[in-house]
Amino acid sequence: MSLLISMKSNTNRLRSFAVILLCVTLSYKTYGVERAELIRNAVLSNGFVVSQELYDDTDSHLATVGKAFFESEHLSLNGQIACSTCHINHAGSSDGIPNAAGVRGIGESLERLRSGAKIVPRNTLGLWGVGALAHKTFFWDGKLIAQDSGVLSQFGTRPPSEDPLVTAVHLPAVEIRETLEEDAFVKANKSESVDGVDLVYAAILDNLREYEPDAVEEIASTFEIESSDLSFLHVARSVAAFIRSEFRIKTTRLEDFALGKTELTPSELLGAEIFYGKGGCAVCHRGPLFSDQKFHTVPVPPLGFGKNGFGADYGRFNTSFDPGDLYKFRTPILYNVAKTAPYGHGGSMRTLREAIDSHVDPLGLVDLTSLDGFGRHEYSKVLAASDMVGSVQFISSEEIADLIDFLNTLSF
Amino acid sequence: MLVNRTLVFLNVIACCALISLTAKFVIWPPVAKMVFKDNYQELMFQCDNVMREHLIAKTRVMTEKSEQSLLQLDAAEMGLVTCHDYDVLRKKMRQAGISAHELSLMGLEVIEAKAKNLYEFVDIHEIKY
Repeated sequence: MSLLISMKSNTNRLRSFAVILLCVTLSYKTYGVERAELIRNAVLSNGFVVSQELYDDTDSHLATVGKAFFESEHLSLNGQIACSTCHINHAGSSDGIPNAAGVRGIGESLERLRSGAKIVPRNTLGLWGVGALAHKTFFWDGKLIAQDSGVLSQFGTRPPSEDPLVTAVHLPAVEIRETLEEDAFVKANKSESVDGVDLVYAAILDNLREYEPDAVEEIASTFEIESSDLSFLHVARSVAAFIRSEFRIKTTRLEDFALGKTELTPSELLGAEIFYGKGGCAVCHRGPLFSDQKFHTVPVPPLGFGKNGFGADYGRFNTSFDPGDLYKFRTPILYNVAKTAPYGHGGSMRTLREAIDSHVDPLGLVDLTSLDGFGRHEYSKVLAASDMVGSVQFISSEEIADLIDFLNTLSF
Repeated sequence: MLVNRTLVFLNVIACCALISLTAKFVIWPPVAKMVFKDNYQELMFQCDNVMREHLIAKTRVMTEKSEQSLLQLDAAEMGLVTCHDYDVLRKKMRQAGISAHELSLMGLEVIEAKAKNLYEFVDIHEIKY
């Protein structure tokens, strides 16, 4: 009898335990579902746009022609360098090195840097999303911006096109050290007027007629004109079409999650909470391209001699001459960010973790003893100008790992 | 006798002239470059610095005119004195026979001195894709 009573009370205990376990599991699942919904709402309310809606239709034939020019070294008048030399598809559409390696180099990426190429003191930006409708601000310092009133650029009142990407394609072709050697012809026509660059564009086109005759014939027939009537604008339009097509944002896991087609893992969800919450990432990395297209100061470690020489880089100030823009750079796009190392305008951060740390714990990245007096002076000014105050809260190392997991959902 | 003396005298003059010209155009320029290079590069860095700060101060007055920004501009203008020293040394080096091209190369060397960090960075961290 006592045995029976004992067995019965054990069964009751087991039953109670099972009920409690079931309740906890259900509540966890409910909470998990609520958390996912919270994140989904945050994604959508921070300007997320599905990949299909980021673009107008692209002329695929023009893009095919543009590929030939994108990969041709003769788009550079005398520098023997192609767009594809620095925008390498398997390097995340950049080149995998901290600063770009311009003219006088051999090969690409690290090989090119070590071969004695002229250093262009900025990290090569990836091209993902550059052709999207929402992409308005080009280059680290915004030297080309698409506004309602038109394209604002070094071309002043005479931009070659109202399409900002087409105008942007015009710029590297006349950038000394990037794709242009300063030979006698360039020196003779070097000026700050648009008339001077027109001569360089005309010379480039003559070069293309001689060395890329097939591509020139193809583009002339695409536009239904004679090859003698071609201008650099036609070439730029084809290159822009190629960039729009080749480096198009595709469907990501985040998109599938946002549309309810898939779920994120617990660490990805935690990472998303940080991204849209206390990390403050979405304050700047928002909108259709996960970039507000504005300029901010993040105290990244210094590397290289910088755009202003001696290790200094004044960022947007070099374009706007507004002291309020000192040390500011355009918010990078985060699509495929996991593939575009190293990070920062000087490429001084090798990993995503370091890139995040530059927002959260910048002093942890810099060995102050390795900087000279001027280097420390400049870095202290960058720290003082930092935009992180008031937006980025401290996050732990484990939270950074979750954040990286979330950022990986933006890869395709 | 007089002719011989004259010839000797002219020879001496010619030798002195040759030695002077050799010293001025062949020996002195590389020596001057060695002697003045460090000082030139230091002054170039300082002048570049003060000119950049002056530009910032000037644009600051344009965008946010205040007593503070005007005082900063005054100080920045005073700072341009450094460029006078740079200018004087540059002229001295040009007079010593150092070409404008060589001076530009010396300048570029110091402007891009921190490129060394870049190579060290990629070597140490074995950047690869």
